[in-house]
Amino acid sequence: MSVVIGAERDSAPAIAWAAQKRLMSLFLIGGFSALMIGAAIGPLQALNYADVNAYPFLRPVLQSYYEGLTIHGVLNAYVFTFFVTSGLLVYLPARELELEPNMPIWWTSFGLMTIGAVMLLYAMFDNSSSVLWTFYPPLKGSPYFYFGMTLLTLGSMVPLAAVMDLRTRWKRANPGKLTPLVTYMSAATLLMWLLAALGAAAELIVQLDPWSLGLTKHVDPIIGRTLFWWTGHPIVYFWLMPAYVSWYAFLPREAGGKLVSDPMARLTFALLLIFSMPVGTHHQLQDPGIAPVIKAIIAGLTLSVALPSLITAFTLGLSLEYAGRRRGGRGWIGWFTALPWKNPSVAAQVLAMITFIFGGAGGIVNGSFQLDNIVHNTTWIPGHFHITVGTAVTMTFMGLSFWMIPHLTGRALFSRKLALISIWLWFIGMSVFSLGMHWAGLFGVPRRAWVSELPHSEYMHVYGVAHFPLILVGVGGVILWGATAAFYVVFFGSLFGGKRNETPVHIPFTEFLAGPEGSRLAGILEYLWPITGLTFLVTLAAYLPVLIPFFQHQTFAPGWMVW
Amino acid sequence: MSDITPETRFDHAFHKAADRHERVWIFFTIALLALLFAGTLAFVAVDFGVVAKGAGFYKSPLTPADSPLFKSGKLVKTGPSAYSAYVTGKLWYWTPSPIHVPQGATVTFYVTSADVIHGFEVQGTTINLTAIPGVVGTVSYTFDKARIYHIVCNEYCGIAHQSMIGEIIVDRRPT
Ligand code: HEM
Ligand SMILES: [Cu+2]
Ligand SMILES: [Cu+2]
Repeated sequence: MSVVIGAERDSAPAIAWAAQKRLMSLFLIGGFSALMIGAAIGPLQALNYADVNAYPFLRPVLQSYYEGLTIHGVLNAYVFTFFVTSGLLVYLPARELELEPNMPIWWTSFGLMTIGAVMLLYAMFDNSSSVLWTFYPPLKGSPYFYFGMTLLTLGSMVPLAAVMDLRTRWKRANPGKLTPLVTYMSAATLLMWLLAALGAAAELIVQLDPWSLGLTKHVDPIIGRTLFWWTGHPIVYFWLMPAYVSWYAFLPREAGGKLVSDPMARLTFALLLIFSMPVGTHHQLQDPGIAPVIKAIIAGLTLSVALPSLITAFTLGLSLEYAGRRRGGRGWIGWFTALPWKNPSVAAQVLAMITFIFGGAGGIVNGSFQLDNIVHNTTWIPGHFHITVGTAVTMTFMGLSFWMIPHLTGRALFSRKLALISIWLWFIGMSVFSLGMHWAGLFGVPRRAWVSELPHSEYMHVYGVAHFPLILVGVGGVILWGATAAFYVVFFGSLFGGKRNETPVHIPFTEFLAGPEGSRLAGILEYLWPITGLTFLVTLAAYLPVLIPFFQHQTFAPGWMVW
Repeated sequence: MSDITPETRFDHAFHKAADRHERVWIFFTIALLALLFAGTLAFVAVDFGVVAKGAGFYKSPLTPADSPLFKSGKLVKTGPSAYSAYVTGKLWYWTPSPIHVPQGATVTFYVTSADVIHGFEVQGTTINLTAIPGVVGTVSYTFDKARIYHIVCNEYCGIAHQSMIGEIIVDRRPT
């Protein structure tokens, strides 16, 4: 039942892995450096909501709240996640299959994303493009912004070629066998992203790039929004699925157990590929011009994504229980306390999973449009996604870096204790922060608002009803500053100052209680391209009724630079 | 598996129980989702009026904002206690504002933007509608309480976005 495990892998003679480890390190450093800037700005925003306005003192660096918020959103949501993911989803399958990835392809991804990120940084820090990470036209930033975004997006699609090439080579050498799990999960994620990124890519390349250069004078705002959300919804799964890879493929072993079911992991990924695509219109429930019936169907279908999430909750909960019981845990919760909580990588990921349960519950609120009318574009929404992408995903990547840096560099973690402290602070800080954000949202406090710039009396007049929750937001933010500082001491400390490890650290590929062999389900799910094709057709069916009326009644709006 | 160690026996028992629980779990999940789906659709059939609807698209982004109804800024009486209000979002104010509404009135808002995208949110109500240049959206609400509501812009629209706050004043019904 058990397959080859990671422990023996580094001894494979054929590949030295040095070049791959170096590039993987670059992806990791690129991503986490972006997050460092973004996370340093985050607490300023939290303080803003608590009516503390730090921005007048930051003038030389940040002209306004909105400039900072653009940097925060773009660096955290795009640059950080894209870099880490484009590294992991090539490196991990290559190690699983013991095959060398196509290095020119992988470097192309890195190169495109790096150039894109540099252009974005330039366009954001000179305050020419404070359009926020959603860059809704007719707000109009500089060409550097849109072309940077274009390159970053294209670069994040390139790893698909590397993974599919690995999979093809492996299948040729192992005819009739099922794709090993990590490769399967990576391929499903990147295929989903291939379809998902088409929307933003089209918006950028067809609408915004030429417009920013002055080649076209006008833009249609609602078509832009719709194409953005074609990508903007599934992107949350492009953030999440790599974290799931870690939860399914590594965490069970790190926790001292095994994954209870390999086919369930495959099913989850295939369902996420299918269900994430057609429902992006639920971000436009408040937009005019979309028939209520379409909105209702989309809102209903959105709930389907709870299915893979609940399968995941079950399978991973059980895998952790298995690990806890093997470690001697007894009774209803004994298995949980028996998990290796002293291991910062495990602690980070288990806390990430717990946080995600709340994120999922909140997501069901956002998806049902009667409730969404109350919370749409209030602080509830950033409250929601800071416990999903901002904690479940981010803390998983942090936890992963705690074994991966030693694995890649041969250096020990700088300080286990500080790593643990950073994780717990992040967990606590985000809990307080996000409670405050959700709560304030129920009082109609809008997101993306420099409320601390209002006169204090006006702030109290309009948002005084939410004063206490807004203070929680600020307190959470300050705790998160501490968490961020602790984490980066560990991160860079390990990279540059960690002690040389005596023994190499291996990738913790998990074993399975039930493997894929003989599973009919796994056999069907192996047809990834047909599943992708089908998903594309369903997505078109969901979007054409929305888009066709927009194309029939276009608006020609001029651009505005108003910050 | 020929070598039966205590560990494989543990694995085996764990696995069998797990399979059973898994089937139950998936059954309940699917049942739950079916219920929620039916519930969502039912809401629409009933239509609480909270759903944002479209009332027109225009080639020029300024056509609706410059039309007489939007320019007049007057509340239009359409029935015994029904009114229409035509509201435009502009950098960085709502017009007309304040809007006086009699208590108990059902108001249908027609909302557009004269420049960038704005968000028409009335704090403390279910009114939440994106204001898009060249597009008119509509939503209705019944104002039962006599009080002041804030119209808050909830879509980023530039440097003074936070100060784009309007008012709806619900005047007490004469008794
Ligand atoms: C140091 C911890 C962090 C703090 C204190 C923080 C704080 C905030 C606050 C207060 C907002 C709302 C601003 C507004 O709506 O006006 C915000 C927005 C946002 N944050 Fe964070 N954040 C943190 C980390 C993260 C992380 C790790 C991610 C993602 C990986 C993230 C992604 C975003 C995004 C995408 C937005 C939306 C920006 C927008 O609305 O344009 N943040 N953050
Ligand atoms: Cu979504
Ligand atoms: Cu605004």
